[in-house]
Amino acid sequence: MLVYMDTCMRRCMLPVLAVVFPFGMVISLQGLEVFRLFGAERLLSSLASVAIIRELSPVLASVLIAAQGGSANAAELGAMRIEEELDATEVMAVDSLSFHVVPRVVALTLACTVLNILGTIGGLAGSFLTAVYMKGENAGVFLSGLGTYTTSFDLFAAFLKTAVFGLIIGLVSCYLGFNTKGGAAGVGRAVNNTVVYSVLLFITANYFMTSALFGVAG
Amino acid sequence: MNPLNWLRSLGQFTYFCMTFFRTGLTRRPPEGEVFKEAYNIGVRSLPILMIIAAFVGTNLTLQGHHAFEPIGGQNLVGMFVGLAGVRELAPIIAAAMVAAKAGTEMASQVAVMRSREQIDALEVMGVNSYWYLITPRFLGILLVMPVLTTLAIYGMLASAYAVAVFQLGLNGPEFIEFVFNVTEIRDLLIGNIKALFFGAVICLVCCYHGYHSDPGPKGVGSATNRAVVTAAVACVMLNYLISEIAYA
Repeated sequence: MLVYMDTCMRRCMLPVLAVVFPFGMVISLQGLEVFRLFGAERLLSSLASVAIIRELSPVLASVLIAAQGGSANAAELGAMRIEEELDATEVMAVDSLSFHVVPRVVALTLACTVLNILGTIGGLAGSFLTAVYMKGENAGVFLSGLGTYTTSFDLFAAFLKTAVFGLIIGLVSCYLGFNTKGGAAGVGRAVNNTVVYSVLLFITANYFMTSALFGVAG
Repeated sequence: MNPLNWLRSLGQFTYFCMTFFRTGLTRRPPEGEVFKEAYNIGVRSLPILMIIAAFVGTNLTLQGHHAFEPIGGQNLVGMFVGLAGVRELAPIIAAAMVAAKAGTEMASQVAVMRSREQIDALEVMGVNSYWYLITPRFLGILLVMPVLTTLAIYGMLASAYAVAVFQLGLNGPEFIEFVFNVTEIRDLLIGNIKALFFGAVICLVCCYHGYHSDPGPKGVGSATNRAVVTAAVACVMLNYLISEIAYA
């Protein structure tokens, strides 16, 4: 299981950072433009940290994990199914479900939470760099504003969310990879469907979890 | 990953793109294929894109409401949705979903053709494989991406409105007014220009990974996998660049 987690994190680390970091930069870019209208630039970091910690980092990190870790999962399991490695495991009286699938699902669930923390830090760093070095905001103001609206509950909620997202990605990818049919084209289809269905499912779950965790009234 | 390897694949990708532009786009595309591909990419990605766009809109509203509540600006939610959603999120979500749905499909189709030696067969018959396989996909995706993005923007605004009015109890007309206060036609236009760039990047990256895939089911799987990740990362980085140029 740790091996799967290790490979999954290695694979996903760069893509997650490479997506969340520029997004943090975009938030600063667009946010500053709005806040300049009211002369409230100091609010930027407070709102950016809320947006990144609660919503953007969990969702973007999970999209990338679905695209990278989940689809790799499906591709591996699908190739094993096509090359009859899974049948070979069964013949040796090893339960292929608990041997191949369970560790992958658990590993994805855990890796998702860890990568989200990484993504959050990356997003905040991107936001900080753009605001301070490119747009000339005050670094101290930015840093002290980070904690205005964020509470430890936000971190916990993001953790819970990403765990659920990781579970969804793991289950969907393993289900589709495990039940691959139809040769090499079938593997391609399984990978394709994994990304589409897991993203669809966890974005839907995200709405309900946000409503539940942060109260129906937002 | 080894940096030299990385550099080599970058060079290979550049060579791939140049060959494609030189041989694929200098002739008339294959008869009837462009619209078939446009249909495949556009219509089949549309339902999934609309669902995702709708849920992104709902969440944007919830979070915007939460963020502005402490400073008493609940009505600013409309502005938040207009700016963050119309300018940034809707184009990037559309690109991500097209990459996930149509892009992976392209990559796996081309990879399967590669592993079954169908591409070699095309070349043997004297048909340029870039022109026959990639040109229709490239033109097709350029044709539908702006449409998909525009639809995603409206889907997102509709769901954002629904949540704001029915779940959070805000004033509907006021919400719409705030949305229109901050968005202009120019934003839609830039969103569509972004979409064109994203479409080109998605098509080139996915076809490149499919074209240079390893044989066998494993090769198809890993080519598809790499294609969607590279395409998504490239789109987000490009998004920052275009936003910086267009809005700053």
